[in-house]
Amino acid sequence: MGTSIKALLLLLALASPAFAQVTVSKGAVKRNFAVTGFAGDSALAGQVTDVLKNDLRLSGDFQLSPAGSAEYVQQQGTVRIEGGDVVVECVVVATASKQAVLSKTYRYNAQSVRQVVHRLSDDIVQTVTGQRGIAQTKIAFVVRRSNAKEIAVMDYDGFNVRQVTTDRTINVRPRWSPNGRKLVYTSYKSRFPDVIEHEVFTGIRRRLAEFPGLNTGAAYSPDGNTIALTLSRDGNPELYTMDAGGGNLRRLTRTKPGAESSPTWSPDGQTIAYVSDSRGSPQVYLIHRDGGEPTRLTVSPAYNTEPDWSRPPAGAPLPPMIAVTSQVGNRFQIGVASGASQEVPAVASDGGDCQDPSWAPNGRHLVFSKTANWRSRLYVLDVLTREQIQLPAVDGDASEPAWGP
Amino acid sequence: MRTRILFHLALAVCVAALATTGCKSRKKAAQPGGVSSAPTLGDAGGIETGSRPPEGSTYASGRYAPVYFDFDSTAVRPSELPKLQTVAADMRSASGKLIVEGHADERGTAEYNRALGERRAQATREELVKLGVPADNISTVSYGEERAADPGHDEAAWSKNRRCDFVVAGQ
Repeated sequence: MGTSIKALLLLLALASPAFAQVTVSKGAVKRNFAVTGFAGDSALAGQVTDVLKNDLRLSGDFQLSPAGSAEYVQQQGTVRIEGGDVVVECVVVATASKQAVLSKTYRYNAQSVRQVVHRLSDDIVQTVTGQRGIAQTKIAFVVRRSNAKEIAVMDYDGFNVRQVTTDRTINVRPRWSPNGRKLVYTSYKSRFPDVIEHEVFTGIRRRLAEFPGLNTGAAYSPDGNTIALTLSRDGNPELYTMDAGGGNLRRLTRTKPGAESSPTWSPDGQTIAYVSDSRGSPQVYLIHRDGGEPTRLTVSPAYNTEPDWSRPPAGAPLPPMIAVTSQVGNRFQIGVASGASQEVPAVASDGGDCQDPSWAPNGRHLVFSKTANWRSRLYVLDVLTREQIQLPAVDGDASEPAWGP
Repeated sequence: MRTRILFHLALAVCVAALATTGCKSRKKAAQPGGVSSAPTLGDAGGIETGSRPPEGSTYASGRYAPVYFDFDSTAVRPSELPKLQTVAADMRSASGKLIVEGHADERGTAEYNRALGERRAQATREELVKLGVPADNISTVSYGEERAADPGHDEAAWSKNRRCDFVVAGQ
């Protein structure tokens, strides 16, 4: 059974260099970094300095420190407004070699000061670690507006919140296309749950799936050509795939009276992880993209849902893993399944009900929702260091985040 | 906190693969779904879901009593069957479409609750078909946990929220 899937899992594990004996203690991977600041208009310079410090902290790769004890020093740069542009000059020097490892001038539209700094921060991360940073990524999420739920998009640090839909209906479970240009989500605009494709930059929308019954859970394959989703058109919620533009529908499961939900793709696009309650409580299973016998991935805790499969780039500190929402007692927590055990260890469980995990493209950070006192907020967790920060609160409950590419 | 990161994954996966080789002889019926042949549409072991009412339909709710469910269960309780008989008595001969709206209580995760609500709606729909309502005249909607009947956060509220509502669509 499922031999091909096990082989794939094995391949995934072998393909990653990181499962070799990596022992990380909290903070051990962090480099001391000194942000000296910027000369220029004081309000603007202060903003640039603050955003840079926050970005470097959020990256998980740096510990902010005084210049005297820093491995890297950002020497005092300059910031100015020129025409309609903001211009930032920045030099970063490695203390050991006394060499400038980064020396660059950034020029952006003055409306986008934060974006300039995010770019600078990603350049620093790339220079020092060789890995792509996450400071320029976006997070889509669901925001409650009285009795409605709408889709919104924000920067990875919780700033620049922009509401994408204003339908005054239920719009939920956004997922990004691999190129970051489209979102798919479940919309009740027609009174029935449909899968909608939404071009983020143009606002153009199209209904991709509007079959009788439930249409939900759409998730793009890594190449962007296929969508996995849950449909009940055949009389029971089952797992299907279809072409990304709609059509060429294929059913992968047959589990009446079980229900399948929440598909997520393996990094190589050959395997789909999903939730099924066909053997009792909901657990995560793996199935080949063309169907066949599923393999059970999780057994314990007794309730594991909302899998999200990370796609870390080559050389990333963590291998591909599947984050889930586990229920233990009456509480929800975020767990991470690696394929090593059917028992899912918790990575975030404190301070409320933790749900809806979604991986950053670095396969290291997770965004998730935490509900306490019936209010839901978004948090970012660095799985490597277990550090957790709350994103700036938005107006209205935030849930079901999806980290963009 | 010292965190041992990620186990000896390759080794462990090998072990897991070996450990589950024994599953080979297990009967197919025990597997959680999956079609061993090429994927097909149609026959999913259920009754194909009825088509949606046409656009511009009017919707009447509150005519029939909701059907309630046990926690994390999608089985229609025998005690609820008389309610379905009332619905079926009207809908057997009615020309309008019936929409069964499935709901879950707020516990549980959002997408799982959408699937759970749909299962409840489908289970209810099947009982109605058994009672003589034409299958294509009944469509389903799952709202998951989005539309609570009772906004409370205790079992008294949750037991009212695990339900199916009935909406009649007309022209």
